[in-house]
Amino acid sequence: MSGIPSVANPSETIVLPKKLRTAEIAGLLAKIGRLTASGSVTLDFREVEDFDNATLAFLRHIEHCLPGVTVADVPEALAQAESSFAKRPPGTCWPETPAAPPSGSHAGRFFQVMADKFLARVQLMGRFLAMFGDEVFHVGQYLRKRRGVYPGETWNQMFFMGYRSFPIVCLLIFLVGVTISITSVQQLRLFGADIYIADLVGIAMLRELAPLMTGVILAGKVGAAVTAELASMTVLEEVDALRTMGVVPEKFLMVPRLIAITLVVPLLVAMADVVGIFGGVVVARVSFGMLPSAFIREMITSVDWTDFGWGLVKTVVFGWAVVVGAGFKGLTVGRSAEEVGRATTESVVLSVTMIIIIDCIFAFILY
Amino acid sequence: MAIITAHELTVGYGTTEVLRDLSFAVPEGLITTVVGVSGSGKSTLLKTLAGLLPPLGGGFDFAGRRVDYLSDASLRDLYAKIGVLYQDGALLNGLTLYENVALPVRMHYPELPEDVVRDMVFAGLSQVEMAASAEKFPSELSGGMRKRGALARALVLDPELVFCDEPSSGLDPITSSRLDDLLLQLKERFKMTLVVVTHELRSIERVADRVLLLGDGGIRFSGEYAGLAATDDAFIRTFFLRKARHDDT
Repeated sequence: MSGIPSVANPSETIVLPKKLRTAEIAGLLAKIGRLTASGSVTLDFREVEDFDNATLAFLRHIEHCLPGVTVADVPEALAQAESSFAKRPPGTCWPETPAAPPSGSHAGRFFQVMADKFLARVQLMGRFLAMFGDEVFHVGQYLRKRRGVYPGETWNQMFFMGYRSFPIVCLLIFLVGVTISITSVQQLRLFGADIYIADLVGIAMLRELAPLMTGVILAGKVGAAVTAELASMTVLEEVDALRTMGVVPEKFLMVPRLIAITLVVPLLVAMADVVGIFGGVVVARVSFGMLPSAFIREMITSVDWTDFGWGLVKTVVFGWAVVVGAGFKGLTVGRSAEEVGRATTESVVLSVTMIIIIDCIFAFILY
Repeated sequence: MAIITAHELTVGYGTTEVLRDLSFAVPEGLITTVVGVSGSGKSTLLKTLAGLLPPLGGGFDFAGRRVDYLSDASLRDLYAKIGVLYQDGALLNGLTLYENVALPVRMHYPELPEDVVRDMVFAGLSQVEMAASAEKFPSELSGGMRKRGALARALVLDPELVFCDEPSSGLDPITSSRLDDLLLQLKERFKMTLVVVTHELRSIERVADRVLLLGDGGIRFSGEYAGLAATDDAFIRTFFLRKARHDDT
């Protein structure tokens, strides 16, 4: 049978066939493994005429990794080809010999790794905060001098961030309003306190749910889009091009987005408050016939303008966190297309994490 | 007179040195080609000279003044005097070609009336024969058109020096040749200085006044293009041998 080497001598000498390419070598390796388990093996290459890179690599493999195998009668052509074959780096036999265990105790190594990771995070956070500070400066400078930003770009961004986000924000907040109302009204009914559904929905929406949900939706929609766009621009050298035109990319690209988010987020969250409360009104009307006017009258006994106002302030801070986080990830991306996807994912995770941390800080300060 | 003078300049990324201790000069009013095999550090050197990558050692003077990477004013001064043609053009995809070329003008001189900006942009686009495509977006242009458009953007503020990063890469021979004509025109008609990073031997032969050949982490040859023929360096001969064979066919 062609291609399968024959065992000419049962005393462990294998005469290799004329054709010794990748497929033949693959079949041969298992046989060598079996024979070397019981002693040494000699591979006779005298008949080999047809070979390829795998044959050359196989010769190197024998030399470096198979101490029990001897090579005999290598033809001149094969020997010449082998001598000009690329040198292999040392220590690459397969299966690989296990690396020497690292020095130091397990606990020491664990703390070393943790300390390195912690320092890397601190460094990253420092760069992020520096960028945040720079952006505050750039926005202030733009508002004073009105230079360094492309005319009309803020309107484009407002359209994208506000108008395009409006339907999804309304839909999701309405459903959240309906869900918390349905869940709460059953519990309140046990105590005959159905009417307090209005207070509960009002407080929850104005103080927490509308700002938080709007922030999270913006992180997913706006944050991801901003990172993907800026990261693509970085990879395509558009950011470098801006810089060498004397344009500051951190200003040119970020200021319109920051101004846009500052202007549209209050409108979005105000609409989200209305729609979320409307969800509660619908549930109250359907489940126990409460009139919308009664719902509103009851709600305003427990909420006031400060709840609404702080909700707006919180969402503007969330918006800035989303846009600066997205810009940071987009502008610090590497040079490959793969990193654009990774940066986009990281941007959403970073934004949502920041939103929840900021929300927690606000909760401590305000309530 | 040299527009750029490098003093023991070391360039690279992070802590990895790509080119070490380079000392050379780029004379004014000529085309200097930076050549070398792939990975020899041509684009890294260009990024450093264009103010995008801080040097790892040494430094360079631009128009007689040392470029300080830690000083925004020094970098702004450098950016105001250079234009860069990137390998793929790097036109902003969200803007039309007209808006791309107008961008540097609007950013630096927002007080200029729109009709002046328009005239400047169309003068630049006509120079590269792209005026008819002014309202197209970069995605609607071919590779060669994008590069010509990007060249118009690099030239719109009349820079003293234009860096071109592999202007011929990915282009057919005719478009490549037209781009070479444009570069020669810029030198001859507008007395502009150009630094062209390339490994296209035909293009080097056609446009280069001076050659900076990079290899083995340093400069293998720096001098006039005509001087290459006299060198005995095996690397240089091998690098340019391809040209001789190419010409024979």
